[in-house]
Amino acid sequence: MTAPRARAARRDRRAILTGLAWTSPWLFGASLFMFLPMALSLWYSFTDYPLIEEPIWTGTSNYARMPDDPTFRRVVWNTAVYSAISIPACTVLSLVLAALLSMRIRLARFFQACIFVPTLVPLVASAMVWMWLFNGEFGLINRLLALVGVRGPTWLVDQQWVLPSLVVMSLWSVGQSVVIYIAAIHEVPRQLYEAAVLDGMSPLRRFFHVTLPMISPAILFNVIVMLINTVQIFAVPYVMFKRPDGQNPAGHFYTMYLYENAFVYGQMGYACAMAWLQLLVILALTAVMFIGGRRLVYYRGG
Amino acid sequence: MTSAGEITRRGALGLMAAGGAGFLVFGPRGQRADTRGRIVLDYWEKWTRHEGDAMMRVVDAFNQSQSRIFVRYLITADIGQKSLVAIAGGAPPDLIGLYAYNVPPYAESNALMSFDDLAPAFGLSLGQYAPGVRQVMQHRGRWWASVNTAGSVALYYNKRAFREVGLDPDRPPTTLPELDDAHRRLVKARDKGPLERVGFFHPEPGWWSWLWAYHFGGSIYDAQADRSLVDSPENHAAMAWMQSYARDLGPDRCKAFKESFGNYFTPENPFLTGKVAMIIQGPWLANLVTAFAPDFDYGVAPFPVAPGLSDPAAPVGLIDTDVLVIPRGARHPEASMEFVAWTQRQDMTELLASAHCKPSPLASTSPAFRATHPNRGIGVHYDIFQSPRAFVPPQTRAWQQFKDEVDTMVQRLWRLEVSPEAALPPLERRTQGFIDRAAEERRRRGGAS
Repeated sequence: MTAPRARAARRDRRAILTGLAWTSPWLFGASLFMFLPMALSLWYSFTDYPLIEEPIWTGTSNYARMPDDPTFRRVVWNTAVYSAISIPACTVLSLVLAALLSMRIRLARFFQACIFVPTLVPLVASAMVWMWLFNGEFGLINRLLALVGVRGPTWLVDQQWVLPSLVVMSLWSVGQSVVIYIAAIHEVPRQLYEAAVLDGMSPLRRFFHVTLPMISPAILFNVIVMLINTVQIFAVPYVMFKRPDGQNPAGHFYTMYLYENAFVYGQMGYACAMAWLQLLVILALTAVMFIGGRRLVYYRGG
Repeated sequence: MTSAGEITRRGALGLMAAGGAGFLVFGPRGQRADTRGRIVLDYWEKWTRHEGDAMMRVVDAFNQSQSRIFVRYLITADIGQKSLVAIAGGAPPDLIGLYAYNVPPYAESNALMSFDDLAPAFGLSLGQYAPGVRQVMQHRGRWWASVNTAGSVALYYNKRAFREVGLDPDRPPTTLPELDDAHRRLVKARDKGPLERVGFFHPEPGWWSWLWAYHFGGSIYDAQADRSLVDSPENHAAMAWMQSYARDLGPDRCKAFKESFGNYFTPENPFLTGKVAMIIQGPWLANLVTAFAPDFDYGVAPFPVAPGLSDPAAPVGLIDTDVLVIPRGARHPEASMEFVAWTQRQDMTELLASAHCKPSPLASTSPAFRATHPNRGIGVHYDIFQSPRAFVPPQTRAWQQFKDEVDTMVQRLWRLEVSPEAALPPLERRTQGFIDRAAEERRRRGGAS
């Protein structure tokens, strides 16, 4: 018995070593370019580090400074409000589109492609296009509003219209979620729908009582991905609102301020503290969703 | 036995080996020695287009003038951030073309090599520069940079529009009430509808939204006391003056009007299209006129000041400069300084200044330079250079954050979202907080506070 067991142990060891050898490029890369920078950034978050000078340990001062920093409070508020509106809006829209495109309608594939294509457009190009669409003087949106007698606002200047404009823009790129939802809807067993029809359920009730529960894992996945993306929103508002004559306060977001602290104001320590806080908030919100998901998400595998 | 399409271990290893070999053969290279054995200097500069071409001519002339040093000109966007990272990473270029406001934070962080030690051996001295320009080359008593181009900021006005409304195109406004009067006469709008033209428009181009207080006889920063003066009476007056324009024109109309402007470096520039008849600008504007509207008839004058402050012999104006520095860690500081000295020769500064449409930063210029200068208002810019009331951006390490905060608040003030009384006291506290933090950093690192 001993010899076969030893042989098996050797085989296991060899398998582990082979696995490690094959994954070593990733392990090496991840250690060098992810884990080490993360560890260093954690250390820097407790220091005064202007980047071109050595970091000096300052304890928790960077973290303690945040609540007293009005710009920090403003970017947290903007990011939170944007996320709170954008995630539900994108989720509802993508579910509705996925449900419609899952029906047997003509040109469904064509419409799917149309909805997916905007996600392939680079963010900067997309931001430039939307800047023109939202232009208060020449923008297409205001021209359309003028046709019905409404004088549109200066969307990207007026404080109260900046966030709604960005939310509308975020709806433009729901293609990826729609594709995932369509795939999930196609996986729902047909017999459930047949049973629901026999029970006399309307299409709307079938959607709420059959489709939604059955695709709830996909919804959870998409919401988490959206959360991560919206909390880190950067490129689009940076292109749209960072002007030579100053930053529009309503278009100032958390990651933009983090970047400014790191590379413009020479406060890498504060920026690292902000980055760690952001990571912890995302982890906490993800954990809350997973815990909430235990009751709300249905996994067919058990 | 493996089936077709299955990857064998040998195949995978072969693929990886081929990839590695390809990387070694075709992958990135470090510094390559010049074939003629010259010292190669990397020079990062922000300029592109005609401005970059002009600097390239200076670089080419240097490379041809001797056989020991070769300067490689590399156009670098976001130069402040990239230089910061390169210096921090221990791999800086040999020379960097920065903005003047970069000097204080870089100097305080010991990221630059002082010219005090290097420059005299190459025949450079502060005395050869125009008085106003010298201010940006030094910080806390030491010399850190040379100035490769400099501009002062003045009032540019559309002479054709002046004639159209009966204003004398040869008598530009000298005081702010005169500017206000000219503005009102130049405003053109259909009934109460959208604006078609204004006289003056503060947010165009909006690059120096912090400087109005200086034209009211004040300042926003006291360098001696290291104090923010954003809440000064002069700045209150300046902000109230700015708001009076937005109030008269209507904030919504102003916002919509601004949205109708094209980008600065295009033929849609609102000054060139006639939408804004008077703007605050640097001498480089003449290059835009040449490129996009050669027949445009413009005049140049010192930007007006509050009543009682006007003095033709001592105009008030901002001096904005581009500087050339040698970063800490540069491999060949002496060779770099030799190039810096070359760029500061009178013929080279004049070549560059002429191509950029700017005045020369040097105290003396050749008669031919001024006589043939492409900017018809160059004399005004020189007068500001020589003026005791010329000023430079506040020289504090906290300036970038200070400026961003002021810019943001000025935008809100211009949109009439807040009054100066409500905005300026907290803004001063906040900007003073940045200054205090910078001082604290200096103390922590053993520098003088």
